[in-house]
Amino acid sequence: MSVHLYHWEPNANSGKPMLALAEKGVEFESHYIDLLKFDQHQPDYLKINPDGTIPALVHGDRVLTESTPMMEYTDDAFEGPPLRPTDPVERWRMRWWMRFFDSYFAPSASMIGWSIFVGPAVRQRPKEELEAAIARIPLESRRIAWRKAMFNEFSEAELAESRRRVLFCINILEEHLTRHEWIAGTTYSLGDMNGFNLGYAMPLSQPDYCNDTKTPRTMEWLRRIYERPAAKKIWALGRTAMAQRVKFLERPAHA
Amino acid sequence: MLELYHSEPNTFFLKPLIALHEKQARFESRWFDADNLEHFTARFSDAAEANLHLEREGPLLRHAGTLISNSFFMLEYIAEALPGESLLPDSAYDRYRMHASGQFLGAHLGSLVPILGCVKYLAPRLAAMDRARLDACLEQVAPQERRQNWLALLDGTYTPQILETARERLKFPVARVESQLTIGPWLAGPRYSIADIDAFAMLRVLPDLTPSLVNPQATPRICDFLARIEARAAVRAALATSRSGKPAQHFVPGVEPSRWG
Repeated sequence: MSVHLYHWEPNANSGKPMLALAEKGVEFESHYIDLLKFDQHQPDYLKINPDGTIPALVHGDRVLTESTPMMEYTDDAFEGPPLRPTDPVERWRMRWWMRFFDSYFAPSASMIGWSIFVGPAVRQRPKEELEAAIARIPLESRRIAWRKAMFNEFSEAELAESRRRVLFCINILEEHLTRHEWIAGTTYSLGDMNGFNLGYAMPLSQPDYCNDTKTPRTMEWLRRIYERPAAKKIWALGRTAMAQRVKFLERPAHA
Repeated sequence: MLELYHSEPNTFFLKPLIALHEKQARFESRWFDADNLEHFTARFSDAAEANLHLEREGPLLRHAGTLISNSFFMLEYIAEALPGESLLPDSAYDRYRMHASGQFLGAHLGSLVPILGCVKYLAPRLAAMDRARLDACLEQVAPQERRQNWLALLDGTYTPQILETARERLKFPVARVESQLTIGPWLAGPRYSIADIDAFAMLRVLPDLTPSLVNPQATPRICDFLARIEARAAVRAALATSRSGKPAQHFVPGVEPSRWG
């Protein structure tokens, strides 16, 4: 059965199934959807995912549109090395952390990221063009998010709270990695792939708080994932400077 | 040893009670009075996963010394770790639908239903309590997002306009569930699964909280779905653990609404 993945950069939600498929050894046809050109709201893509969100995985006649459940499906449906622990406690811990990354860390980190990267990247276009782009977005929650980013409607209080939460996450992740080698425990799993996609740029975006001195275990965890062949293969598919940030995780030559 | 820390069998607390009864598992019930904030007076663990409730409030399952939190992942844990009737869908795609349903409904119903339920039932109880005692108790609650969720019920956060917005936003997940039930009688494939338990526990209170949104004329499939699950022996047993006799009138604050607005 054919496997098609519609995705943007190897980053955040798009990167999650990309990395999971690569780790599983599943070849897939890559369809690059340019988020900054609003490809995800164009009629051709809406035929695949009427919600207009990316990524979307099409496996035969099945269409999957939720990125974290898509990762579980990748491990469930294809032959290849297991990407989830067999122990139920480790599986639960993997899922708990994926939800933590998705619902607590990501909304705050992405609010900061959208305010400094996505918003400015689209904002210079004419207001009418941006309003028309918003009008094409199917989901109300996404219309609200895009409006905030396009017109820089993030309040200072919202951004301050997002920064506070990101720092909180950095601290509890470091603490977690003092007790466990990987997110789930003893096994590299979807939890690590999820966390890596959402957090690989933390050392660059939060250099005062996430670095070799303050969070050595997090730095080592990021580097160990970055050095895996699957991560190298997937990040090579990036087309923007955003994905290039991953190279920050190269170990110093003398190390 | 299996122990479930829970309050009245409604919303988040109802889910594992149903699953454990479906599995016919032997477990110790550790009931606490969430209306009186009893769960804040004893610390269960220092583990981040036990204290940083991703749903803000909810049950804890202790199994062989490990504390399991988050009601949906608790359902998965019960389904995967305990013997008995299978509560997981049979195919990989249906298991994807189960995960996707849990994620989607967790974000939408998990945030909106507790707002309406807490404002209707919990807020008046809190307002009748001694405010100094309440403040002293809430002051100890960490992390701060969890504390804020309780304070919001006392400080006028939930204006009529906010409640109207919550009701308006419920239309989206309710319509999606109604639509899913046109595909088949259950939410994740041809068989009853934890996806149905998860949805049932949050949907069953909506005919009371938003009667114009969920009723036999507007949402016939959801009403039929609720009736079919309500009739199951395990569900009746779970609801019978109620100490108040009115479990559907007991709520705890839920998932934080989207921070993006």
